[in-house]
Amino acid sequence: MDFEFSEEHLLVQEGARDLVESKIKPAAIDTDKNHMIDPTLVKTISELGYLGAYIPEVYSGADLDFLSYIIIIEEVSKACASTGILISAHTSLCCNPILQSGTETQKQNFLPSLATGEKIGCFLLTEPDSGSDAANIRTTYVEKEDAYILNGNKIFVTNGGYLGIGIVFATRDRSQGYKGISAFIVDLSTSGIEIMGNEEKLGIRGSYTTSFALDNVKVAKENLLGKEGEGFKIALETLNGGRIGVAAQALGIAEGAFDRSRAYAKERKQFGKPLAAVQAIQFKLADMKLKIESAKLITYKAAWLKCQKMQHSVESAMAKTIASETATWVTKEAIQVHGGYGYICEYEVERMFRDAKITEIYEGTNEIQRIVIAKDVLK
Amino acid sequence: MKILTTVKKVVDVELNIQVKEGKIVQDGLQYVMNAWDENAVEATVQLKENNGAETTLVCMGDSESTLMIRKAYAMGIENGIHVDDPLLESADSNGYAKVLKKIYENGDYDLIITGKQAQDTDNGHTGIMLAEYLDIPCVSNVVAIEVVDESQLAVSRIGDSGTEIINVNLPALLTVSDSINEPRLPALRGIMMAKKKAIETKTLADLELTLEQIDMQPVRTEILEYQAPSVRQAGKKFEGDAAEITAKVVQLLSNEAKVI
Ligand SMILES: Cc1cc2nc3c(=O)[nH]c(=O)nc-3n(C[C@H](O)[C@H](O)[C@H](O)COP(=O)(O)OP(=O)(O)OC[C@H]3O[C@@H](n4cnc5c(N)ncnc54)[C@H](O)[C@@H]3O)c2cc1C
Repeated sequence: MDFEFSEEHLLVQEGARDLVESKIKPAAIDTDKNHMIDPTLVKTISELGYLGAYIPEVYSGADLDFLSYIIIIEEVSKACASTGILISAHTSLCCNPILQSGTETQKQNFLPSLATGEKIGCFLLTEPDSGSDAANIRTTYVEKEDAYILNGNKIFVTNGGYLGIGIVFATRDRSQGYKGISAFIVDLSTSGIEIMGNEEKLGIRGSYTTSFALDNVKVAKENLLGKEGEGFKIALETLNGGRIGVAAQALGIAEGAFDRSRAYAKERKQFGKPLAAVQAIQFKLADMKLKIESAKLITYKAAWLKCQKMQHSVESAMAKTIASETATWVTKEAIQVHGGYGYICEYEVERMFRDAKITEIYEGTNEIQRIVIAKDVLK
Repeated sequence: MKILTTVKKVVDVELNIQVKEGKIVQDGLQYVMNAWDENAVEATVQLKENNGAETTLVCMGDSESTLMIRKAYAMGIENGIHVDDPLLESADSNGYAKVLKKIYENGDYDLIITGKQAQDTDNGHTGIMLAEYLDIPCVSNVVAIEVVDESQLAVSRIGDSGTEIINVNLPALLTVSDSINEPRLPALRGIMMAKKKAIETKTLADLELTLEQIDMQPVRTEILEYQAPSVRQAGKKFEGDAAEITAKVVQLLSNEAKVI
């Protein structure tokens, strides 16, 4: 058993830290306030290859391993969870399914522009009446001549506002349940796709969360991802990897809040001594560290299993659950350590508190993760 | 043009450094490339990109120093030499300069670029000593480099009375200021390529150097003890009417602080 990062991982971590310190961290407050990541920052992130981290070199990616990608999401999310999910949703939910289930032509057609950030990727599964119950989607497709025609509504699409490439799920026949679902690679600027605006939300406010109406959208036959009827399987496999990305995002948020709390506790004096000298605060910091370290171990383990191409669905469910609950707890306590200042935007832990909550919800709520874990425990 | 660039691995001074019984607590320290050396690497890569140059980096230090070399590779440096020898653990600037002299002589370089100082010791000795030992011209605190022709550079440096522009014949040594450029962020693809590149590792024996030859028998300077800087007292803050505050501050400055 080896708990050390390799030289490659350390290099990636240092590279990501340089980017975060110089570009992402200084922009984090504005990203939240302006409900968007500054386009020049998105451009810098793209140019440095962060949107193609583990895409193979033949498709213009950086060809890193999955653990390197997880390290990137963690480092970025320490400073800005909105930027973390930009990279994570793009990579885990769009690049990854194409990489795993796409044909060679599809990989050649879509991956290079995704790897370079020319197109930003997203994932269109959730609908107004189908969230956790994802097999119950109502968006339909029919075959017509040389194409598929899609109709329906999609909501809560992370990165939707970039109008890049989407993995869209639709059913040919709802009575067939999950077996009726297929996945399509769709350019979101295709005619018939109408974007319905950006949601106002609690946290990750710099991340686009948009709805789409699909009205007779024509998708070329060659853009069916996998075989017909395999869509639901593709969605589940995609989310298995994606959850490790969300776990890394949550871990990063928790670490960011912890680092600030520790620094603040050492600096802030009340009753003639630093907060760090008060046992009530020391125990908060100790509990934060306990939870962060456990979250980190299971998140890296899930990433490692995926790197080894081993089964990782249960570990990724556990990583996402532990890390997200760590993030919501740690950020809440981080505000408490900061007292009134913690409630003020400038101190950033209030943003982290708002950002943390979503990690318990998206890519499968924690209730759904517990169903996955329980099923495995009882099998 | 053949350029030799030097890089030092230093403690990340932005994180808390603790001193205990005259020694720096090693536990939990993180290391980074010396910030001025990042400027030296950037200046080197820019010369390569704009004028064409063969670039070699040298880093002396323990096994973790390879990370500094790979980071420089990711920024665009082509060759790396790692001098890794436990005998160098207590080396001072003079010792390092003597080792670098040998590296230079083995390589037929036209230009040496170093950071103007290291952020751990803040000495700023090594580059200047090296130039002296090699008997080549040295310009310190450089803020711009322009290639005049194959044998000459026009460099700007910040001196006592402003910017000085100096024509310098090659071979020469420049120590660069942090205002010369903004070091590029390494791209992920560069990091990936950096991982695959070879690093030449050398011990003192490989370089045919003895401790005597590098003035380390005994070492010329030695750090006896570290002392943590004393914590600054918190200042006083005054709020309210400007005239009242001014009167109060003047009174405090003359009666309490006794500075006026
Ligand atoms: C900011 C944001 C970004 C998102 N990004 C994307 C995206 O990019 N792509 C995408 O497709 N979707 C996305 N989503 C959707 C997200 O994945 C869903 O919101 C989530 O899966 C939950 O679905 P729901 O909102 O319909 O909740 P519901 O399914 O209605 O659940 C409501 C509550 O009931 C619980 N519950 C439901 N069923 C069960 C059950 N059987 N057992 C126990 N508890 C249950 C849930 O855990 C939850 O607590 C995003 C959502 C948000 C808010």
